[in-house]
Amino acid sequence: MEMREIISTGNDLAAIAAVDAGCEFFGGYPITPSSEVMHTISDLLPKAGGAAIQMEDEIAGIAAAVGAAMSGVRSMTATSGPGVSLKAENLGLAQMAEVPLVLVNVMRGGPSTGLPTRVSQGDVRQARNPSHGDYRSITLCAGNLAECYTEVVRAFNLADRFMQPVIVLTDETLGHMHGKAMIPTVEEVKNSIVPRKTFDGAPEDYRPYGVGPDEAAVLNPMFKGYRYHFTGLHHDGKGFPTEEIETCRKLIQRLEDKVMMHTDELELNEEFMLDDFDGSEGEVLIVAYGSVSLAAKEAIRHLRADGIKAGLFRPITLWPSPADRMGELVKATKNVLCVELNIRQYTEEVERVSGRLDIEGLYKVNGRAISPYEIVNKVKEVF
Amino acid sequence: MARTLMRFTGVGGQGVLLAGEIFAAAKIKSGGYGLKTATYTSQVRGGPTVVDITLDDDEIFYPYANDGEIDFMLSVAQVSYNSFKGGVSEGGTIVIEPNLITPTEEDRKKWNIVEIPIITIAKEEVGNVITQSVIALAIANTYMKAIDKETLVKTMLSKVPAKVHELNLKAYELGEKYALEAMNV
Repeated sequence: MEMREIISTGNDLAAIAAVDAGCEFFGGYPITPSSEVMHTISDLLPKAGGAAIQMEDEIAGIAAAVGAAMSGVRSMTATSGPGVSLKAENLGLAQMAEVPLVLVNVMRGGPSTGLPTRVSQGDVRQARNPSHGDYRSITLCAGNLAECYTEVVRAFNLADRFMQPVIVLTDETLGHMHGKAMIPTVEEVKNSIVPRKTFDGAPEDYRPYGVGPDEAAVLNPMFKGYRYHFTGLHHDGKGFPTEEIETCRKLIQRLEDKVMMHTDELELNEEFMLDDFDGSEGEVLIVAYGSVSLAAKEAIRHLRADGIKAGLFRPITLWPSPADRMGELVKATKNVLCVELNIRQYTEEVERVSGRLDIEGLYKVNGRAISPYEIVNKVKEVF
Repeated sequence: MARTLMRFTGVGGQGVLLAGEIFAAAKIKSGGYGLKTATYTSQVRGGPTVVDITLDDDEIFYPYANDGEIDFMLSVAQVSYNSFKGGVSEGGTIVIEPNLITPTEEDRKKWNIVEIPIITIAKEEVGNVITQSVIALAIANTYMKAIDKETLVKTMLSKVPAKVHELNLKAYELGEKYALEAMNV
């Protein structure tokens, strides 16, 4: 793949990625530490023929973005945890009506208004089910500057493939850190765009939600002669509300299956220094994601220098979790340490997929980053 | 080159961020790796702000400076000086604005404390207080020799509007001059 070097911040990279990926609309409301995503995209989108609008609040921000996506264009919103709480209702609508949308959440300390300028990974559990009801959230998590770009691009393609919101988690550290990122060229990104499916048969035969049991809805762009209905209520093939027993059951089962039967298209992990793992005594598997993985990598360098065989498993797609691969690795390694800027939010998933309850954890919730030395010391203390 | 860790501290609104960005970008342009992180409080102005700059020839993962490993700190506010001096390694250099910061006697024993009136220089000799970040940049690089001057100045000029190039060049030269004087070179 042809790459280019860019010196930037995570927030700016997320905005640039959206524009390169063909996003034509941004609706949002500024919130620390994600505001620069909106500042930068507001600058870039009009020049690229799109539109960005600052709405009166978080709710209106996502509502505008959902509306734009309903009309057929690629659309994004960006916020932080308190904003996601407010946007939850509209995220649920987009899940139910199968509206593709990218939401970037630059995480800060919570709950509530929490620690506005400080780093956290406290929204991992929220990202799994931001609103009520049965659906499967797709959540990607950038772990370095380059991924603030590439994961936003991937999110747009996945949103159009699965016809639902895709959340990209970053955090205050990544959003504001300034440095070098090697990212694909604009041409590479343009060539990677897979637009959403459309129906080109006779308009009277068009049933946007009348698709196979594990398929996503096929929503044609508006104003092209194909008429259908959007609703948050249970609906039939044309999108009109219904309480018909089998239609309701099949609809919700399909929302589940369209994601869970195709997790191979979603899974993305990084395995750092795991090549020489063979199940021997003393190996230390660290599970971390997002900016914490940066500290984990430095820690692994130090641990290796001290003769401790350590490696990192880093899920990039957090939800659905990489259950098979993560479970396999965790089962095969005796010493497992989860490191998170929250209290056990993903550890519980690691326990679930591995069936193990003896996993060690290092957690921090005071708005400060976990340093490599804290990880080194924890490994030496517990294993 | 081994890893260089620098820390710039002030209060929100003073513009200490820019110097960090310039350092990181200049190091990257020289073929290495540079990262800048900024930590600030939810106070818009007046809250302590700290900028960590990490420069290395090898890839840098963790973007913050580990406490006790910082080689050089520059501070223009007492509150930030107090909060963040602990990160500087023993014997490391701390450049302070003497009109705004009073170090303790213990501080003077532990670190090489250098007094340069950065803000006065910016206001009175350059003629614009905003140029303090470029004066700080020049002082830091004169002490740390982190980046060759030509690359750093070129990067700095690319980050400021053309109409203030002369002003910032003057600020850089003055910063360098004061640093060299303080170093007795």
